[in-house]
Amino acid sequence: MAVLSTAFATADWVVLAVYVVAIVAFGLWVGRGTRGIDDFFLAGRQMRWWAAGLSVMATQISAITFVGTTGQAYTKGMSFIAFYFGLPFAMVVLSLTVVPFFYRARVFTAYEYLERRFDGRTRTLTSLLFLLSRGLAVGVTLYAPSLVLSVVLGWSEAATIALMGGTTILYVVYGGNRSVIWTDVVQMALIWFGIFLCVGVAIARLPAEVGLRDALALAQTANRLETVDLSLDLTKPYTLWSGLIGGMFLAMAYFGCDQSQVQRYLSGRSLTESRLSLLFNAFLKVPMQFLILLTGVLVFVFFHFHETPLLWNRAELAQLVARAPAGEVGRLRAEAHAAHEERRTAATAFATARRAGLDSEPAREAYRASQLRLEHTDAEVRRLAGGPGAPVNDVNYIFPSFVVSQLRGGLAGLVIAVIFAAAMSTLAAELSSLATATVVDFYKRFVNTTGSGAHDLLVSRVFTAVWGLFAALVALEAGRLGSAIEVVNRFGSYFYGSILGVFALAILTPRATARGAFYGLIAGMATVFLVSQYTSIAFLWYNVVGALTVFVVGLVITAASGGTGEAGRRPGGVGEPAP
Amino acid sequence: MNPTRPPEASDDRVPLFGTWRAIYGAVAACALIVMALLALFSRWRF
Repeated sequence: MAVLSTAFATADWVVLAVYVVAIVAFGLWVGRGTRGIDDFFLAGRQMRWWAAGLSVMATQISAITFVGTTGQAYTKGMSFIAFYFGLPFAMVVLSLTVVPFFYRARVFTAYEYLERRFDGRTRTLTSLLFLLSRGLAVGVTLYAPSLVLSVVLGWSEAATIALMGGTTILYVVYGGNRSVIWTDVVQMALIWFGIFLCVGVAIARLPAEVGLRDALALAQTANRLETVDLSLDLTKPYTLWSGLIGGMFLAMAYFGCDQSQVQRYLSGRSLTESRLSLLFNAFLKVPMQFLILLTGVLVFVFFHFHETPLLWNRAELAQLVARAPAGEVGRLRAEAHAAHEERRTAATAFATARRAGLDSEPAREAYRASQLRLEHTDAEVRRLAGGPGAPVNDVNYIFPSFVVSQLRGGLAGLVIAVIFAAAMSTLAAELSSLATATVVDFYKRFVNTTGSGAHDLLVSRVFTAVWGLFAALVALEAGRLGSAIEVVNRFGSYFYGSILGVFALAILTPRATARGAFYGLIAGMATVFLVSQYTSIAFLWYNVVGALTVFVVGLVITAASGGTGEAGRRPGGVGEPAP
Repeated sequence: MNPTRPPEASDDRVPLFGTWRAIYGAVAACALIVMALLALFSRWRF
């Protein structure tokens, strides 16, 4: 079986180098003249809606979303798009509720608002939860694409982490949020260009006898085009209902309570601009994810007519060759090759029958059978490579492998630059938000409450650098953490919905007390933990469970303690100038 | 002042469609249309 050529040509290196140098130079240039933490953390609150909106979009789409989503479409189809169905409705709810509260309260962090509404304890706990989850996740944000790109490009993981992390830290430390937002704008433009380029290349590289409609017919026969599953099964991860309801709660929690996103729209020059930055995403997010998934589906069809490696991850393949019983890998290679050739022949026959206007149903059935045989062989290879109960999952390597093996004339370098852009834009926003929460929610409250503007700016830059170095260290050690990465990713889902519940209590219920909010939050997290441990309910529903538990428990505790709400007695309530 | 109700502000102008309610309605309608188109895409006999 052929091994994909993964040579990165000189033109590709030049394009990648130009991107890295240009984005750092641009980030430093737009960040010049930053004065004070209002400038550093919120870009002077002068951003237009389209810039803040593109920054919101760029923050959400990380590199691993880009390569993972295409890989998921390749192996399982487009059902993942349901994950985003609730997002537009969440944006409407947030524009109606939290955005005006945060914006008019002139807060730096979402958690600052909770002190004005409830008490300092609730603010400290929610901000601490953000720092813990985002602080660990930022390492994974850097590690995951570094791992993939190091294998594809032939670099060491440390080199990839150093390049992506080092360059991003440089411009975020210097220019703060203004640099983050403007580089996000450029990076998001590059990402959109890359998406259309990949769709175009995948279509153009199909064989002459297979048109776009034939490709989609093949994908449909292989169950790769399913997008709307009406099943009511709560254990299925991506159904219309889990996407609409669970996805809406997740999006409300992420865009409404996660500082990495709140900071984007708090930088708007007016409330209208802040609202529009979110609504802009409400219109574009689902179509964008559709195009990314479609790219994965077209790559799937493309590889009907081009030989694929036994495993996409070359490191895993090398390990399999080294430790498999003698002759076993050779047998699997021969089986996979035969299955691939059978599928290629069946797919060509199906497309030819369609084009000739003949009855294509027999050819369709033959193709379906050949696809199933290939999937069976693939599953056997992955079981052998990963061991019993833990088959190798290398879907993240499919798209980068396609890019570096099939794109020429600098285009591979451009698409790898797009993956870099997706990673750097997310990392930049996360570093900026971590530094903001650290300085505003902790340093300026507990360490130095009377620092000058210059001192605060210096401290903010230092904390940005410290979080950047921490991210790099976590990323470097992530390979040794193994399954701990999964724990880190799950960690956030335990309390995302619960934090949303606290904000819902704060905004929707004037009577809710600080005691109700604090113990409601703890009850919400405990309930989600129990649900995740003792039921098989799909993870999108955790957000609904957490938010509703906090809300109900918070109201019950409020009623039981005879509270009437404390915010009205607090100085600096919502809408008043920040102290 | 009611702490759970944001005060009105002059910076909240309506950029298009006349009212914010109309804008939110357009977002929701667009989302539903996109989902319907996706369902049609999945079931279309290519």
